[in-house]
Amino acid sequence: MSRIDLRQLRLDPRAPAFFRWREVGEHVVVTNLEGRYLLLSLDEFKRFAEGQVEAGSPLHQRLDEANLLRASYRVEEAAAALRRRKSFLQGGGVSLGILVVTLRCNETCVYCHASRANMEAVQTDMSLETAEKAVDLLLSTTSPSITIEFQGGEPLVNFAAVQRVIEAAKAKNQAIGKRLEFTMVTNLALMDEEKLGYLLDNHVQICTSIDGPEKLHNAQRKLPTGDAHQRAVRWIKEINHRYEAMGLDPTLYHVEALLTTTRETLPLWKEVVDTYVGLGCRALFLRPIDPFGFAERTRLRVEYPRSQYMEFYRRAVDYMIELNKQGVEILERYAAIFLTKILGGEDPNFLDLRSPAGTGIGQMAVNYDGEVFTCDEGRMLHEMGDDTFLLGHVDTHRYRELVGHETVRAAVIASNLDGQPDCTNCAYNPYCGTVPANNHKTAGSMFGRMRESAICAVHKGIQDYLFEKLATADAETRAILERWTTHRPREHFIQGL
Amino acid sequence: MHQTPHNVTAELEEGAIRLRVDREIYPLPAIYGASYVFIDRCFVFLERDGEGRVVVTLQARDPNPAEEALRALVGEFSNELLSCAWRHQITAENRHLIEAVTSQALAGAMGPPSLDDLASFDFTSDGFEDPLGIAQSWEEKHGRKNKAQEAGAAGAGEEEGGR
Repeated sequence: MSRIDLRQLRLDPRAPAFFRWREVGEHVVVTNLEGRYLLLSLDEFKRFAEGQVEAGSPLHQRLDEANLLRASYRVEEAAAALRRRKSFLQGGGVSLGILVVTLRCNETCVYCHASRANMEAVQTDMSLETAEKAVDLLLSTTSPSITIEFQGGEPLVNFAAVQRVIEAAKAKNQAIGKRLEFTMVTNLALMDEEKLGYLLDNHVQICTSIDGPEKLHNAQRKLPTGDAHQRAVRWIKEINHRYEAMGLDPTLYHVEALLTTTRETLPLWKEVVDTYVGLGCRALFLRPIDPFGFAERTRLRVEYPRSQYMEFYRRAVDYMIELNKQGVEILERYAAIFLTKILGGEDPNFLDLRSPAGTGIGQMAVNYDGEVFTCDEGRMLHEMGDDTFLLGHVDTHRYRELVGHETVRAAVIASNLDGQPDCTNCAYNPYCGTVPANNHKTAGSMFGRMRESAICAVHKGIQDYLFEKLATADAETRAILERWTTHRPREHFIQGL
Repeated sequence: MHQTPHNVTAELEEGAIRLRVDREIYPLPAIYGASYVFIDRCFVFLERDGEGRVVVTLQARDPNPAEEALRALVGEFSNELLSCAWRHQITAENRHLIEAVTSQALAGAMGPPSLDDLASFDFTSDGFEDPLGIAQSWEEKHGRKNKAQEAGAAGAGEEEGGR
């Protein structure tokens, strides 16, 4: 319940510059148009809003430095900050191309239903011809950098298509000179020496899925042999060892792992963090489960109230901060993205957390059969029978036609937070984002309804947590949170460098 | 009859829910927007009731819908209606900002047109062919013609007849 009674507040519209606010713990977060923030006590907020801050006082100075005062508002500074924050709009373009080289998968996961096929379903393999056309499409991007991400199904199942994409893209890029990277998301169970050698030789970044400790992982990601975790761990260690043998810095070069948080994960927050640290990971992305790709009956089994997720998140990140204080380097990816925006004033261009979202203008997904979607979520909806986010086909559509598609235009408008109820008044507007495909799936329109949106609840909850931390952090904790915003590019994975 | 706090009244019928929405509170685009969200689950009918209200009938596609499910539609429709109404207002207020960002985002991602795009672009100033007269106004197509036009039309007919 709010401790600020707006009826009692005598707002003075002449004193504060444009601001949004939100109560967090004992403090009030105040943000301005360009995303500068200040944490005020309740009394300070009241004086600020009522125009009762004495000129020359320390509070006046803080407000002035944060560009929150109308009388001294620095327009040029605000414009420069806004340009920096929205830099992804200037000369943007698709920088992430997801290639689903097959729907076939050797693992059966409890949360994955519609975006996989059994191993006999060879008709869901991408042909080599389609692979080459997908490369032509993705390298037509206006973006100076492009990451091609191999997904599935399990991409190692159709390794011939992976190889054809890598060879075609490298050859084509010689004349274009884009900053080209390859990433593969694999469960590693079908990895072998030959494939690994090829991926390492071609500087392909390898990511995998780890659902936490062995028992949980094997219960959720099922192999007939029941050893999905053991196989993944074996190859993670082997790949990390190879990176070190190549002279690469192990703090920067290691297998990245992704977590899918189900109901079973929630009580295991400590075990999950320990598992990741034990595998040499330096980052953990505590993603809540999304509503795509599984059957309704499964949803009831793996879903959970977002309040329970937030409790899990807070415990896990508190523990990660404690580990950092003991010298262990581990960061939470959500927190790092938000902190980069909050503390650094920059947008790390995470496509699902920006306004407008990267749907169709920052990413595209090419399905095994050559159909092109705004994003991988849109592709998963297609597998569930909903073609809302289908843009065209690599055989018949060119890049510019796909990006200019009416669905992309609608998604750009729908994910602009300045047109969204709730978001337009939210203190976290400068740092946040919404996902049109998720809104469409959960609320029936790309706009969604933020007050009922689970993703909105998670985004607000995480930012509440971070601002609480920033308000109360000691110097050591503050330094840890600032360190999480450091971006170290992995030059080794850039082709041709 | 169920009275909601937002001056939306709802009546439960067989397999359907009928809502009466006050047009003074909710603009018509918001009613369209909210109704559209339900078309995958319901057949949606809009009517006027003659008292300044729009009657929205949500006929469940499920032939035997549970009464509970129909009642839930009322709350969901009301939430969507409020969301659409407010979004309608915000969009009007922030129109310049939204248009600027959308243009920048799309132009940046699409880039300039290629030679292929330009080759297929229609640079002529000629109008489109309009054999059915779709682009003509009602007056042009069906209105009373003056004598000069009638003479011209007759001449054209004669010319056609002479072929």
